[in-house]
Amino acid sequence: MAKLWAVIKREYLERVRSKWFLIATFFGPIFFSAIIIVPAWLASRSKATTDIYNSIILDSTGEGFGRQLAINIAGDSTNPVLMPSVRAIPPGELTRAESVATREVMRKEKSGYIVVNQQTLAGEAARYAGTNATSIADMARIKEAIRQTILASRLEKVGLDNRKMKQITFIPLDFSTERITERGRAGSGMASVLFGFAIGFLLYMSIVIYGQTIMSGVLEEKTTRVAEVVMSSVPTDTLLAGKVFGVGAVGLTQQIIWIGTTYILLKARAPIMAKLGAPTMSFTLPDISMAAGILFLLFFLLGFIFYSSLYAAVGSSVNSESEARQAASPLMIMIVSTGVFIQPVLLNPTGTTAKVLSLIPISSPIIMPIRMAVTGVPSLELAGSLAFLAIGCVAALWLASRIYRVGLLMYGKRPTMREMARWVSYAR
Amino acid sequence: MTEYAIDIVNVTKRYAEHTAVSDLTLRVPTGSVYGLLGPNGAGKTTTIRMILNIIAPDTGKIFIFGRPSNDRDITERLGYLPEERGLYRKMQVRRVLKFLAELKGVRGSEADRRIDEWLERLSLKTPEKDWGLAKIDELSRGMQQKVQFIGTLLHDPDLVILDEPFSGLDPINAQALKDTVVELKRRGKTVIFSTHLMDNAERLCDSVCIIARGEKVLDGAVTDVKEEHGHRNVALALDGDGMASVAQILSDHSLVRRADDSNRFFEIELMPGADPQTLLRRIVESGAAVQRFEMIQPSLHQIFLQKVGATGIEEGMSGHG
Repeated sequence: MAKLWAVIKREYLERVRSKWFLIATFFGPIFFSAIIIVPAWLASRSKATTDIYNSIILDSTGEGFGRQLAINIAGDSTNPVLMPSVRAIPPGELTRAESVATREVMRKEKSGYIVVNQQTLAGEAARYAGTNATSIADMARIKEAIRQTILASRLEKVGLDNRKMKQITFIPLDFSTERITERGRAGSGMASVLFGFAIGFLLYMSIVIYGQTIMSGVLEEKTTRVAEVVMSSVPTDTLLAGKVFGVGAVGLTQQIIWIGTTYILLKARAPIMAKLGAPTMSFTLPDISMAAGILFLLFFLLGFIFYSSLYAAVGSSVNSESEARQAASPLMIMIVSTGVFIQPVLLNPTGTTAKVLSLIPISSPIIMPIRMAVTGVPSLELAGSLAFLAIGCVAALWLASRIYRVGLLMYGKRPTMREMARWVSYAR
Repeated sequence: MTEYAIDIVNVTKRYAEHTAVSDLTLRVPTGSVYGLLGPNGAGKTTTIRMILNIIAPDTGKIFIFGRPSNDRDITERLGYLPEERGLYRKMQVRRVLKFLAELKGVRGSEADRRIDEWLERLSLKTPEKDWGLAKIDELSRGMQQKVQFIGTLLHDPDLVILDEPFSGLDPINAQALKDTVVELKRRGKTVIFSTHLMDNAERLCDSVCIIARGEKVLDGAVTDVKEEHGHRNVALALDGDGMASVAQILSDHSLVRRADDSNRFFEIELMPGADPQTLLRRIVESGAAVQRFEMIQPSLHQIFLQKVGATGIEEGMSGHG
């Protein structure tokens, strides 16, 4: 035990003391806050633009519908600059008026035009043509204004007075979305998708980075031949376990610092955003329970043990960094192909793909935490996923320790797969 | 303390392509300096790795101080300097040493005290400069070798195993190593080293074992080995250019088995049953002026060549035999 502790301590302290660790740990939270804040900030800017005020309303209803629509588009504002211009057009001249308006838009004098006619009054159809026709927010605003105007004119026809009508039709609706899980309301929908993405990305990067850290650590011990001295004092299984736990503890330390500071940064985002000149967002942070937090860390640790022990085996079987990169490519393929599924799983976290991937040890350490972040996962599935992953870890450690103890002493040419399979069968 | 520091009984280790060690039996007396001699690829390193329990023998048993070699506690009494040397390059010297000490069960302030003592002793820590605070890769090669010695000896092992310790050493470090070996022996420690440099072995070892192709060729105390192979070797030196006239005599295989030109004199091994007086008479008769004609004990080098010959050296081995 004392020897295992000595190995863990060396792996941990030497890495935590390195410049690389300090830099990554410091910049990590800034980076993660950025990937959470920037999309949210961009989303908050996707409100209707001023283009809609610079449009023309071609009104062939003959009932003053256009003027009412202009008022509704402008909203509360009575400023004539923020109101579309209205042209009353007799039904027969509508085609000509449209081509005049088209030319104005082409000359960039106007951003677009709305056509309202008898069909619009009947609540059947209206048209818009303009440079901003692809803007979802602009179109939604115009469509909503038209609905509102139709409703108002209908109410007016049944005899409601103007003031009452305004009261009824004025609906300044602020539509916010929030996700509900088994545990109740869990923060805004978008925030939880972003959070799921961040978790997936974090796990993915950590496994790649720390897996390769272990691999080069093992390779260094082999090429400098320190391995022989250490192996004469410590059984190889202890050495391998010490490395995996030591580097795993480094990863855990970094993640806890990252998650902690990112959380604080996001909590304190209002003053930061204000400094950046951006409007404060009103999304609530995903509400992560203690149990979920522990599960995330458990998945990280098991996923890390699974991959890093295999990376250690690769490091022990080769003789140089370039050989190591080649030999590690099967592992890289396993991780990258999991990464490819992050987005589909985010979009459909309860689908069959997501369910299957969260059971296979190769992908479950990344996919299951993502699912947990964006949706409720039945505890049976969670237990199954953890059980398979734990079995996967034992298998990976067993395989790795057998390759490791032979590989460390083998110099010269890189072994073939068949030779490595034979190493596994060696007694020692 | 048991009589034998190492007791290897009928040990065999096979790999897929070849047998590295075949039915090896040898005993290293406690408190002796023991040489494991053999050409490259003979099985020296495999034997050492099995003694250290880095690899396990396929058959046979190894006892260290009377305990099985896979006894966990025994490793703390062993010190090992591998043939190929290296340390964690980016690590501070003191931290490397402390780590190696911890692996051998020496901890805390005791480890620090010993590290200071050794660094000062090998002049890596002077009032002007403390190399203990430098990183390994800031050290010269010679200094790195010193650090590695310290790492081998820090826990004051009872059995020190040195694999080809003289390869790549500068003369100063080589001398320091010899002094250390002598001092270890004086303190009752057992030292075993492998080498293919016979001169060093002859000067330092009490006993030797010569192995070739994984098999023991001979073993025993150096004096016994020489005694056993003596009485048939002659040192011959001639005045001026007398060499040409005796060349024919030396190539007579009824008399001379092998003649080795050591520049200043010939070391001649007689055929079994040949009379040295006959050789002397014939040389005198040839007219050469004899400067020296002496019955000598063979050097380990001669014994090695005689026993192993050129055939004992296998081509294409890994070099880690």
